[in-house]
Amino acid sequence: MTQPDAAYKARDVTGYADVPAETKEHLFEQVKADPRYADYLYGCYECGICVAVCPSARFYDFSPRRIAQAAAREDVDLIYQQMQEDIWECSQCFSCVRCPRGNNPGGIITIMREVAINNGLASAKEALVGYSRIIYKIMSTGTQVSPDMLQQDAFPDWGPETADVSANLDLWRRALPPETLHTTSTGWKVADSTLIELYLIWLHTGALDMISGVDPSLHAILQEVMEERLEEEGIEP
Amino acid sequence: MSFDTVAVIGGGPAGLRAAHGVAEIGGKVLLLEQRDFLGGTPIAERYAGLTPHGEPARPQIEAMIAAVTAHQDVDVRTGTVMTAVDGEPGAFTLTLRGQEGEQRAECGAIIIATGFSHFDPGRETQMYGYYEFPDVITLSDLEGMLSDHQVVRPSNGQPPQRVCFIQCVGSRDRHIGNEYCSKVCCGVASKEAIEVRQLLPDSKVYIFYIDMRMYGYWENQIYWPAQEKHHVQYVKGIISEVLGKGDRLLVRGEDTTMGRPMELEMDLVVLSVGMEASPGTRQTAVMCGAAQNKYGFVDAVGSPLDTVSTSRDGVFACGAALGPADLEDSVSSGAAAAMKAFAFLRSRAAAAAG
Repeated sequence: MTQPDAAYKARDVTGYADVPAETKEHLFEQVKADPRYADYLYGCYECGICVAVCPSARFYDFSPRRIAQAAAREDVDLIYQQMQEDIWECSQCFSCVRCPRGNNPGGIITIMREVAINNGLASAKEALVGYSRIIYKIMSTGTQVSPDMLQQDAFPDWGPETADVSANLDLWRRALPPETLHTTSTGWKVADSTLIELYLIWLHTGALDMISGVDPSLHAILQEVMEERLEEEGIEP
Repeated sequence: MSFDTVAVIGGGPAGLRAAHGVAEIGGKVLLLEQRDFLGGTPIAERYAGLTPHGEPARPQIEAMIAAVTAHQDVDVRTGTVMTAVDGEPGAFTLTLRGQEGEQRAECGAIIIATGFSHFDPGRETQMYGYYEFPDVITLSDLEGMLSDHQVVRPSNGQPPQRVCFIQCVGSRDRHIGNEYCSKVCCGVASKEAIEVRQLLPDSKVYIFYIDMRMYGYWENQIYWPAQEKHHVQYVKGIISEVLGKGDRLLVRGEDTTMGRPMELEMDLVVLSVGMEASPGTRQTAVMCGAAQNKYGFVDAVGSPLDTVSTSRDGVFACGAALGPADLEDSVSSGAAAAMKAFAFLRSRAAAAAG
């Protein structure tokens, strides 16, 4: 948006550094350039039904309506502020697709998160810092939380049984009827061909590159794991 | 002329439809128009596109005019005003003043189709500086520019980059005395906003509103395309004042749904002026003895199911003489008034024949 609009904006209210208007515009251009964007934002009645159904709105100063409005108004100052704060308060449940105009505020947030991650925004680094183990697990094994991550020190609120389960994890897992669950370091058995395919997807879609800006060392480890494995299979990544 | 004639007062869309309607079902019509031409406000104020579809106004209205003037049973008198109504229902005598001086005419029924005037944004109260800043204009001023396919800032002749519409100017305001909604301005402003965006694709266009009233199909005919296709910015919050700032205008208001005050610079401010009873409507109602509501419009005493009968037998009203109305409502009530007036004459004739 052009300069005159800036007059009424609160700036730098939460401590993150302000950036030049061109940077904000460039970030928003990336959001708009996403092929999903046109299907996620039509026009906003500002009716608030998305807020009414939003679980996050009950607990945070968060409003999917404001996300849709800021995007519709192309208010790059506010969009930047939202990329530094609001978008990480969404649980991505997509209740907001209840919108009578067919908007998808949660989807807009998905795109904004991707742009925030791709551009290494401080908020993205902060939001993902607690998730490095999960990201490592998903991208290296194709499964999310694995049984061996359930250690008592990590989950004290799960009660004393956690210690017993983790001590005899292999036994407990083999007691489960499906053979595919007889695993401890992955959520389930992942076929070699599946893993190879996943690695190729992470590499070719840029999904792996996305995290280079927010966690360079994690990115380096994953890249090594994937390339090594693909090399073993004789595949040029 | 005689008492089997229906006099239609006013040659705008409603009056044209009423006159044509009476003639179509076999009646005789005397059509009076104070201006020197037919077509009413859409022609007089040079409307660009008709709401809601936006097709060019002039050819559409001219087709209506042609249908009326071509009909042998319609006596059209332009440049003519009615100055008195005497007689009684079924046998009125009208005093007319026109190019040939004062004349008299007889008719059995009267249809008041004298329309509305756009609200004048206050010579005394200076609403939004309409008479102070050349770049503050009204919806009808913009219609004229759109008709010429040239939207510019009157102050310097340059195309505006930032344009805003302020809704409800002269409507829904207890201070002004117009508590009613003028019905059409949301649609007309949105239609004009689309036309501005089409003409000036680099412009940014805002509509500041209290609430948008785009009933029925206007929703997807005008409102959604304005927002979704033409990226007109709708901001719920009305502007309190327009100030000069350099060679631009500063508008102040609250962005209510975002919860923050706003001050925005504009190149062109368009006031969405509402509808008021025209002087012709007020005078004609008095002459005909038809009751008016507190705003000066003719009272439709049988509403909601009879939209055109007035407090006086043999006198009917249609279009914006009855209150704010869009074109669709105006021509619909014009046709309804034609039918009612013709039926009134038929029933009188039947009674007389015993």
